[in-house]
Amino acid sequence: MFTHRIDLAGAAVFVAVMALLPMLLDNSYLTGVLTVAIIYAIWAVSWDFMSGLTGRENFGHALFIGAGAYTAGFMNTVWGISGWWAIPSAMVVASLFALVVGFPTLRLKGPYFALAMLSASAIMERLMLIFWEYTGGEEGINGIEPLIFSQLGFYYFALAVLVVCTAVLVLLARSNWGLILRAIRGDEATCQAAGLNVTWYKIASLVISAAIAGAGGAMYAQYQLQVSPQVFTVVLSITVITMVYVGGMSSIWGPVGGAILLVMLTELLRDFGEWRLLIYSVTLILILFYLPQGLVAPTWNRLKARLGGSA
Amino acid sequence: MSTILEVSHLSKRFGGLVAVNDVSFSLRPGEVVGILGPNGAGKTTLYNLLTGFIPADQGSVTFLGQSIVGMAPHRIVRLGMSRTFQLCRPFVGMTVIENVKVGGLAQPAPPQGREAHARELIEQVGLGGKEDMPVEQMSYGDQRRLEIARALATAPKLLLLDEPFAGLGSGEIAELSALIRRIHQETGLTVLLIEHKLREFMKLVERVIALDFGELIADDTPDRIVTHPRVIDAYIGTDAPDVEVA
Repeated sequence: MFTHRIDLAGAAVFVAVMALLPMLLDNSYLTGVLTVAIIYAIWAVSWDFMSGLTGRENFGHALFIGAGAYTAGFMNTVWGISGWWAIPSAMVVASLFALVVGFPTLRLKGPYFALAMLSASAIMERLMLIFWEYTGGEEGINGIEPLIFSQLGFYYFALAVLVVCTAVLVLLARSNWGLILRAIRGDEATCQAAGLNVTWYKIASLVISAAIAGAGGAMYAQYQLQVSPQVFTVVLSITVITMVYVGGMSSIWGPVGGAILLVMLTELLRDFGEWRLLIYSVTLILILFYLPQGLVAPTWNRLKARLGGSA
Repeated sequence: MSTILEVSHLSKRFGGLVAVNDVSFSLRPGEVVGILGPNGAGKTTLYNLLTGFIPADQGSVTFLGQSIVGMAPHRIVRLGMSRTFQLCRPFVGMTVIENVKVGGLAQPAPPQGREAHARELIEQVGLGGKEDMPVEQMSYGDQRRLEIARALATAPKLLLLDEPFAGLGSGEIAELSALIRRIHQETGLTVLLIEHKLREFMKLVERVIALDFGELIADDTPDRIVTHPRVIDAYIGTDAPDVEVA
């Protein structure tokens, strides 16, 4: 009970700090950075729900992100539909992509799922270039209307979406559903021997993961006011996975911290110019080498154990 | 006579190898039956066919009056046929109680609740007090018990045990054997088991089905099966002068 309450308190402090930061900083550039960090966090938690819990690593999360982003782009610029419809539509489109890729590949064992996801996102990136007449090619889709005109307003909207998504996924992960997903990571045959339809659970989790990533993709388009094929790149998928690893895989909430830390690190290193990537990579390697369980979730759990011990 | 499981003319080929060849037998409700046979006789393949883990080439399997050939493994389990694996396959990274709970999740929640039910099963297999232990810290013998608790959580009517005594010391074997006998007496469920450890095996089962090269060569009581010439030939060797069975 104590650990439960202290987790809630920690989450409340985190949300309060995130809510107050833009007001304290009063800097529109930094608010923008934080907004992007929050959107990355949405992608990271959605990745962790499926891949972190089941251990089936998805190397093409950008497929769902891109599907959501382009859905929002098309709806707004081509059909002129209000941005509020874009988010639910993006969730539906991303879910359909999840069904199409997940159904044939999640039934197979081994690395097929990871490879299929990687290829699917790469194919979509190429298709965006090949059908440039419709997609705008490298330039992408420009002139998307902002969802909320005030920057601060959009920031709070994104923060609210992150809080809701994370809360829902954490609750799911702690329910019997989450127990089954962790059991799938343990041994699929034993799950079948327990009478569980393993394929169904994997596909359903991928759909949930995709829907949330798609919502984040739509929000990204509405924040950048533009979509380009970059949202389908493998680099984006790997960045999201890295955030999950730094945050602490399968904790769901840890990757929120991972996303914010890594976005901040990228910003802090801007002054280093061409050394930036080197320092960034070395930092990552050091974190993953010395803290294979991640940085954020394990640190919090240690802190909690110490608080619990003294209480 | 009513049967719980009816297997007829079941066959499975792997390329040129006939792993299970035209096997027919039946189980009566409440029986404890053993499957005997040297390594490679097709015992585990037979289990995989019965539980739907691999598809059969030919033949039929009727469980509780329903044909289950071609049915997905998880659906067969829900009908009431549960198995354990030859090598323990617990859910690593999870605790004992979580492992047992997963076993029951395909079933409707019992009146006392899933948590309480899992604790009862853990108690029943003699793992009381180890509920919150991570499975990777358990001894092999305890993992065997956990496998049985997980299988019982699926509310089986037929329990298929695949070499439950493998890798255990003689003391542990006697304990586990007593456990299986007790569970059978308390629940009346039908048990089919594969085993090599003849001493305990013969004491446990009421009937033995002997396989060799995928073929059923004998189906008889434990004391008679060892006098069966083809069984002696296949399992013990042609010139075995005496076999200790008790």
